Amino acid sequence: MAAAPPIEVRGLTKRYGSTTAVDDLTFSIPPGRITGFLGPNGAGKSTTLRALLGLVRPSAGEARVEGVPYGRLRDPLLTIGAVLEADSFHPARSGRNHLRVLAAAGGLPASRVDEMLEEVELTGVARRRAGAYSLGMRQRLSVAGALLGRPRLLVLDEPANGLDPEGIRWLRDFLRGFAANRGTVFISSHVLAEVAQIADEVVIIHRGKLVAHEPLAALTARTAGGTVVRSPEAERLRALLAQTGEEAATVDDGELRVATPPERVGEVAAAAGIVLHELRAQEASLEEAFLELTAEERR
Amino acid sequence: MTRLVRAELLKLFTTRLMLVLALLTLVLIAFVTVVRVLSTPDSGLSTLGEQRSIAQFASAGAVVSVIVGIMLAAGEWAHGTIAHTFLVAPSRARVVAAKVVAGAVGGVVLTAFAEIATWLIAAALLAAEPVPFRLATREIVTTYLGILLAGALAAALGVGLGALLRRQTGAIVLALLWPLVVVPVLGIAGVGKYEPANALASVAVARSDSSGTLLAFGPGLALALLWVAGFALAGTVAVNRSDIT
Repeated sequence: MAAAPPIEVRGLTKRYGSTTAVDDLTFSIPPGRITGFLGPNGAGKSTTLRALLGLVRPSAGEARVEGVPYGRLRDPLLTIGAVLEADSFHPARSGRNHLRVLAAAGGLPASRVDEMLEEVELTGVARRRAGAYSLGMRQRLSVAGALLGRPRLLVLDEPANGLDPEGIRWLRDFLRGFAANRGTVFISSHVLAEVAQIADEVVIIHRGKLVAHEPLAALTARTAGGTVVRSPEAERLRALLAQTGEEAATVDDGELRVATPPERVGEVAAAAGIVLHELRAQEASLEEAFLELTAEERR
Repeated sequence: MTRLVRAELLKLFTTRLMLVLALLTLVLIAFVTVVRVLSTPDSGLSTLGEQRSIAQFASAGAVVSVIVGIMLAAGEWAHGTIAHTFLVAPSRARVVAAKVVAGAVGGVVLTAFAEIATWLIAAALLAAEPVPFRLATREIVTTYLGILLAGALAAALGVGLGALLRRQTGAIVLALLWPLVVVPVLGIAGVGKYEPANALASVAVARSDSSGTLLAFGPGLALALLWVAGFALAGTVAVNRSDIT
């Protein structure tokens, strides 16, 4: 029997009164990869993650972690680590004591607390009140809490929110390292540029519904479609393409962008003996892909 | 379950909550004890009944213990830490049960502090008066055991109330206003001795017979335990139904 996927969401629906936050959402994520969970603010990302983590009761459907609902995990800390809001600490409790509480509840040795503080570079401020921590420090403390049990799966909800560039870089490097050690990461964000740098694949939702779920490269290529071509005879090529019914736009000196696939542009150029310096499929950025995919919904 | 209780005890003793509540209790006890001793004539102070009444000011610790329980439960919602708690321990019923046990321990610690403080203050004040010293009698020990038990039950009841309301300030205000507003009304209705505050008071006073608004110790303890169980159950149901958003 095949192993259950790290995260599996089936027909998940969550309603708050007359508002449907998540609407019949179905997807699963593969192990050992970083999957971005994207959507505008209010798309239902946090609600989905909280349903996955057993914090929110679904109105319908279910979410499973390694094949079982979160509530039935025998030792959740050893299976999945979660980073939610960076401000969910008792302000008067030290960072070290916050982790001691989690370790005690999870049956982990106190030595693990100091190891994690070292790993997230908080040893020097470990005995300081968490309320006095910067946002970056609190985020690191969240990550330390999530990793206490050495889980195989890490779920993060908007972890880059409010972080300075140094903090974002630390987080990015950390997540890459985690995934490189066969860890699975599921990271929600509305900061598309951040996810674009680390994700292998993306799940995009909008207004609680699934919009796309595919590898990042495939998504950006699919949503772009067109061709970028550069030639010293760009104007001649443009005229030839126009004769075949393809409108090409001159973007820059010697560069054209055309909706036709690269193969067709290459054939037209070769038939006319036009030298090409560049011929490639036009890839959209994740941001462009995201906006294109959600454009219909926004209208 | 043991590790959850340990975690809850760590929560209780790794902030300044207990220290602040202990100081509040100390100020309260010192004030009423000094006023009572200085305003009572020597003839009154000489009696065991009066010295026992003074010693019973330690029950302020049991009253404040309700706040310990409330903050142990509802404080998690106030600070947003409840998500961490349920991520580590998804069984919410077990979490509430662990909080009830840890709250009771916290109540015992705070009430024991109140008893020691009251006894020391009263002993110091009585030593300066020309009256016999009756604070080291069996009756006082019995009284203090009753108050200690009431402190544990009060904190446990506070956990149930905090879990039920999940609003720290609202629960504390309700707990403080209850004896001032609701108890007198229930007293007029003739059911005052059965409500939670008087059930706890019956345990604290530890009388062998029912009198006035209080039950005897045995029935009082049974009723107080029923109230603790009832609030814990209602709190568990409320917490189970709540979404942590």
